[in-house]
Amino acid sequence: MRNALRAVLPALAVLSLAACATITPAPAGPLKVGSGANVTLGRQWSDISLVMPGRHKKVRVLSIDGPLLNRLYLTDGLAPGDYLIKPLAKERPTPLVRADMSATERMEFVTDSISAMDYQRVTLAKPRPAKLGEASGVRFDVSAQTAEGLEIKGVAAVAETGGKIYVILYLAPAEHYFAATLPEAEAVMASARVG
Amino acid sequence: MRGSRLALIAAAAALAVLPQAAQAQRAAGLRPDSTSLEGGIWGSADKAEAAARTKADVNHDPALNAYVRGVTCKVAADHCPDLRVYVLDRPAFNALVAPNGYVEVWSGLMLRSTDEAEFAYVLGHEFSHFAQNHTLVAYNAAKSRANVALAAKVAIAVVGVAAASGATTASEAQSIMDATGNLIDVVYLAEIAAFFRFSREQEAEADLLGQKRAAIAGYDARSAAQSWRSVMAETQASDFKRVRESRSRTSVFESHPLEAERIAALDKQAPSLPASSDRGRERYRAAIRPHLSAWLRDDLRRRDFGQTLHLIDRLAAGGEDLGVLNYYRGEAYRLRRGDGDLGRARDAYLAAAAQPDTPLAAWRELGDIRKRDGDAAGARAAYETYLAKAPQAEDAWLVQDSLTSLDKGS
Repeated sequence: MRNALRAVLPALAVLSLAACATITPAPAGPLKVGSGANVTLGRQWSDISLVMPGRHKKVRVLSIDGPLLNRLYLTDGLAPGDYLIKPLAKERPTPLVRADMSATERMEFVTDSISAMDYQRVTLAKPRPAKLGEASGVRFDVSAQTAEGLEIKGVAAVAETGGKIYVILYLAPAEHYFAATLPEAEAVMASARVG
Repeated sequence: MRGSRLALIAAAAALAVLPQAAQAQRAAGLRPDSTSLEGGIWGSADKAEAAARTKADVNHDPALNAYVRGVTCKVAADHCPDLRVYVLDRPAFNALVAPNGYVEVWSGLMLRSTDEAEFAYVLGHEFSHFAQNHTLVAYNAAKSRANVALAAKVAIAVVGVAAASGATTASEAQSIMDATGNLIDVVYLAEIAAFFRFSREQEAEADLLGQKRAAIAGYDARSAAQSWRSVMAETQASDFKRVRESRSRTSVFESHPLEAERIAALDKQAPSLPASSDRGRERYRAAIRPHLSAWLRDDLRRRDFGQTLHLIDRLAAGGEDLGVLNYYRGEAYRLRRGDGDLGRARDAYLAAAAQPDTPLAAWRELGDIRKRDGDAAGARAAYETYLAKAPQAEDAWLVQDSLTSLDKGS
């Protein structure tokens, strides 16, 4: 019995910590994402990272009106083997960062990760040159639908430097919310410093 | 305790003799009274159908939907007006029918059916669930089993308490109560197992009826078992051990029979059905051809590349659509990135490039792989071909960047 308790206690400790997981304010101003990325927020967001399922520890997720209405994914440097979305099971893998990804594959990594978030009919459009700080990358538009058919729009920027890739991804319903928060999301992208 | 054993045996026997899956076919055009039990079940299904109409993955291609409806009506015959068929772009091998005649056909099923005869058998299977009122029958059977199980649990509890009260020591009484609790658990598990056994019986019945309906509609009856052989082979091709081993042994808690059992039953019935050699392979392929590319892309997102490669091999067996199929074969290898996979991807893209129907992206991917291999001349040729064929592509500047980096030797 004592052995069983000893085995169960760590799990209980983790569960109790998870129960404390909460949404915290991300105030206007500089925001550090891990050790390799920084952005500046033009207004207060909510940091919903801890309540998002399948989040990698190098990924922070911010929102203004809630995760269904706007999401801003900010990553630290993702190394080979890292993912944007954690797999639910070994038999249901999600896209991984590879050491030798082409620019096309880096965009594919983002769009396939969006599909792994259970969005449907994910497509990318208008890839164009972009910079995250000094790192050259690609920016592109995203369109998708929720499983229930709600139209989603997004914009993403992905850049590689020092063998790691950095992603900023903004997603929101096409109706009202995408346009309403886009200027703020674009300002965050423009403020990014990585590597 | 002898009494509780008797109660358990009685409960197990009662659960075993409750209604079987077989049921007379419903009449065409029959809509149940909305105040009846069946009417309530239909009402719930109506709501699910209304929600499904707006789902993101509903395929609205009129030609594909007309084709699927046509095959459905061939096997459903007089019941055709009772059914509403929706094609959903979902990569799993699946179809389902709701008790109100709402039918879902998933793209993963269409991608995996070799011909119209295999597809018709699956539609016949689903229609048989509807025609035999399987949902209502299962509901009534579960209700009857629940009543029997409840009576058994009460009887066991009463006998257990009586036996415990006659015990001479506290520990003996505790042992009797523990045993009583265990017996009640056994009845509970037997109830669940009986539910799944009933489900397996309904599936087995729908298999045989589906094969029969497809044969009566003029299709080759042997194709029904072939569809399950393909499913088994694809399962064995999975990248994941757990998937490969998933259907190798049966369990009392399985809702469907094992594929091997289904094949044996279908093979046994086939010779007794009307003979035909019509498989409708060409017209089936013509119907799904416009969607091959999108459905294969969806399948790649499952990231079980062993299964996708097996599927592509089957689709390519007839020598059709080799540009598209070799391109996606290359994509599967490129995404899997196992030992030697990039070389296999390069060969597949090259094979695709020799076909008239290859997606233009094959040249871009070929260029990227050759660039990784240090084959600058080969990469340049592939990139230049891509730009020549797709000068207006949105990513043309990216490919031009890659060409520039080749010039700089980086």
